[in-house]
Amino acid sequence: MDFMVLSLLVYLLGAVTFIWPKKAELVAHYFGMLCSIAASGLVAFSSLSYLLSSDSVWLIDMAWGQYTLQADGWSGAFLLITGVAGVIISIYAIDYGKGYLGSRIRALGGLWNLFLMSIVLVLIAGDAFTFIIAWEIMALVSFLLVNHESEKKKTVSAAYQYMVMTHIGTAAIMVAFYLVASAAESFSFMDMANNNLSGYMKNVAFLFAFGGFALKSGLMPLHIWLPNAHPAAPSHVSALMSGVMLKVALYGFGRFAFQFIGMDVFWYGLIVMVVGLISAFLGVLYATMEVDMKRILAYSSVENMGIIFSAFGCGMVLYSMKFPMLSVVAFTAALVHAASHSLMKGLLFMSAGCVMHATGSKNIEHMGGLARKMPYTALFTLIGSMALSSMPFTSGLVGEWLTLQSFITFAQQAGSPELRLLVVFAFIMLGLTGATALGCFVRMYGIAFLGRARTHIVEKAHEMPFFMLAGLALEAVLIVFVGVMPDFLVNLMQRVVSGSGIILMGNPLGIMWGGSGYYALYSPALIFIVFAFIGVFMVAAVYRSSTFQAKEVTWNCGTVPTSRQQYSATGFSKPLRRAFDGILNPKRRTTYLRKEHAYFGRKLHYELSIPDLFNDKLYKPLQQMLINSSSSFHRIQEGSVSIYIGYTMVAMIVVLIWGVLL
Amino acid sequence: MEYIVTSIGLSLVQGFVLLLIAPLVAGIINKVKARLQKRQGASIFQEYFDICKWWKKATILTPYTGVIFVLAPVVYFMTSFMAATMVPGFLTGQFSMGDAFIFVYILALGRFFMTLSSMDAATSFGGMGGSREIYISVLVEPAVMLAILINSIRYHSTTLSAMVIDYNEAFFTVSAVLACVAFFLVMLAENSRLPVDNPDTHLELTMIHECMTLEYSGKLLSLIHLGSYLKIVVFLALFGALYVPVEIPLALKVLLGAVLIGIVETLNNKMRLFKVRVYLGAAIVLLLLAIIAE
Repeated sequence: MDFMVLSLLVYLLGAVTFIWPKKAELVAHYFGMLCSIAASGLVAFSSLSYLLSSDSVWLIDMAWGQYTLQADGWSGAFLLITGVAGVIISIYAIDYGKGYLGSRIRALGGLWNLFLMSIVLVLIAGDAFTFIIAWEIMALVSFLLVNHESEKKKTVSAAYQYMVMTHIGTAAIMVAFYLVASAAESFSFMDMANNNLSGYMKNVAFLFAFGGFALKSGLMPLHIWLPNAHPAAPSHVSALMSGVMLKVALYGFGRFAFQFIGMDVFWYGLIVMVVGLISAFLGVLYATMEVDMKRILAYSSVENMGIIFSAFGCGMVLYSMKFPMLSVVAFTAALVHAASHSLMKGLLFMSAGCVMHATGSKNIEHMGGLARKMPYTALFTLIGSMALSSMPFTSGLVGEWLTLQSFITFAQQAGSPELRLLVVFAFIMLGLTGATALGCFVRMYGIAFLGRARTHIVEKAHEMPFFMLAGLALEAVLIVFVGVMPDFLVNLMQRVVSGSGIILMGNPLGIMWGGSGYYALYSPALIFIVFAFIGVFMVAAVYRSSTFQAKEVTWNCGTVPTSRQQYSATGFSKPLRRAFDGILNPKRRTTYLRKEHAYFGRKLHYELSIPDLFNDKLYKPLQQMLINSSSSFHRIQEGSVSIYIGYTMVAMIVVLIWGVLL
Repeated sequence: MEYIVTSIGLSLVQGFVLLLIAPLVAGIINKVKARLQKRQGASIFQEYFDICKWWKKATILTPYTGVIFVLAPVVYFMTSFMAATMVPGFLTGQFSMGDAFIFVYILALGRFFMTLSSMDAATSFGGMGGSREIYISVLVEPAVMLAILINSIRYHSTTLSAMVIDYNEAFFTVSAVLACVAFFLVMLAENSRLPVDNPDTHLELTMIHECMTLEYSGKLLSLIHLGSYLKIVVFLALFGALYVPVEIPLALKVLLGAVLIGIVETLNNKMRLFKVRVYLGAAIVLLLLAIIAE
């Protein structure tokens, strides 16, 4: 705990950059990043002690008046995620942040430290007050960070949308906390665990808690802020928001599910599972339609949070069906996938930052052939894309496999036809999600990094400076390490959710999962060895200098192929757009501009937009309703003072009468 | 440790055996098709000659291509080979390095690199093939997941060796027959056969898999073809071992499956691209009924 407090202080020290003299901006930036690296390192290091302690709930109270700090295994898991992401992304930001020299870089460094500090504070909060205060600091600081490039109109509107949405979420969480705390007559988490909430109030508290945390983690239909806020923020901020902040919402929800509300009711888990599955598929489907690199990644975050929550929901369902031992695999799946998503999404947001740095654009339609200009970035981005498509030898498949195993475990126990239908639905969704994710990242990587340059902006692209590449490389190494040797991470994470009893076997061979006559195994290390074994022969047979001698331009019916003949990103996703047009509802418009000649040289203008389903069907009507209802208040808002005095008098009389009658 | 080494060795041997017979099975399919179309057809060993021919020829690259383009065929071949080492029922016994999901994701690794490579040559044909391949794979995947689900419910495991069909338990039950038919439909789509894709042509209207490989030549082309022949054999073996509820030797099942593919390909036309979702929807519904009936 001492280390935790120390790390908080170091973060605060990093925030000194706010008042650093303007002349030494660069020094301030270095100082800020150094502080955040050191503090995050401390967080990651000390989180291991909470995770590794045999007692999974290890409490240290440090009462400063009403405020309590505590850390147990559940917070330890998220502290580890935060610490690792904090170190790596801060390393990346050493060079990336230099792009903001002259545009409030001192504030950026200070806010960066405060953001990390508030996340850590949320994770070690020991009572509802501290939690809400830390949560609110996190919301405000991240709002300021999203709004950093406030010269752009789009950024400001995205930031305010985020502000409004996140506060709706905070309000819901506060209600949930209030209900639990008033039943327990204490704000401390320890006491709140022994609350005597009645069944009905418990349902209400659960719904508020799930609503609030689902909003913060971007589950559909509450994801609406996410695809706007992530592209607006500086890239390292989006990496941290997507990699860590979304997980903090899972942390909060887990606290409620494990400690405060319990998981005895079947439909709690059911709701979480179904919402998660729908978010997973719709998120990745929208991601496949986007052409803005950061929006692709933002929607993919919706997908991955969906997978994580569906696994968590599956665990809750198994628990409510009285299979606490079996539910371990599902909770472990959620945690492992959360950790691996933090790695891979951190990597890809950082590489999106690299691409923006190199080309000045986020639109993949303008790119192509970047792999030749920036080979190292391309390599690391490839690893990230593979991980997000859950390919073998990456951490993505470990989480995905555990998720699939938890649903299979559920299927074993689901005897009745209704539950069978639910299982079938889950597997259809997971199958669609997995395959679409592959398509999405093949498309993003293929269009941006392979082929030929589509516009001139690629011409001036260059390889990235050292620290940016170092950030990418560290994430990539961790992804492959977890992918090939998953036992370390899996053992850590399952220790958190199962206490001391180890059910899910993580051994040097891989991950084994068994229980009540059921058994499955995934051993990436062995597969890797076999792959390497064949690979040696293949390389010896194929990659000889004699194999590749001739280079010829592709036969193109007698003409020289141009870069515009390549498939575009929009074209690439066309079959999927058509297959799911019932959901996506694409709006097409073709206009003919025929000024000069009726037949020759007329210009065609083609427009395609895919509005977000929930934006059109849910938020716009809601917004309209709000505006209409508030305009109806115009009638009583006359503007003359005497009328307002009248209102006050009426109100007082009503209160007096009420007081007398009661 | 010794057990693991022996088992891996046996798996590798099995992979090589399947690799050796793969072109033969492809030759048999082509022969069946030719005879049904009242043609003499090429010899059943023709595919061996083709692969040797391509192996000897020069490999020509487009100047725009990069590392991915030369890497993809090798990865594709290796994933098919890896899948071949995992098929239960020949030599592997109870040993497994990964279960059915891993099997699916290893094949997906090959698809990942092939679709990437289709975009690397910077032509419109390649992109078209990649885009359609993704479309088909998105529709196939749920059916594959359900096919795994049904056997794992029945045999309480997702490892392929445990999922081998038990003839006493599942001898022509409703659920076994439905799953068998559905998996056959899925197999045709996964291996780019008619009626989903036409393996014989690479015309603009029909091309999916063949047009991803349009830019390849020489050794790389022969690897791609070898990989896709191997994939058919792997799927036929898996189909026989896991889903055909009749007790006959596995080798015979593979042979009969190949003949059946030949017959189905002769009787059917290539389907319109956007009709494929109806076709795979049918497979999903069959599997759904099978799971309810289980």
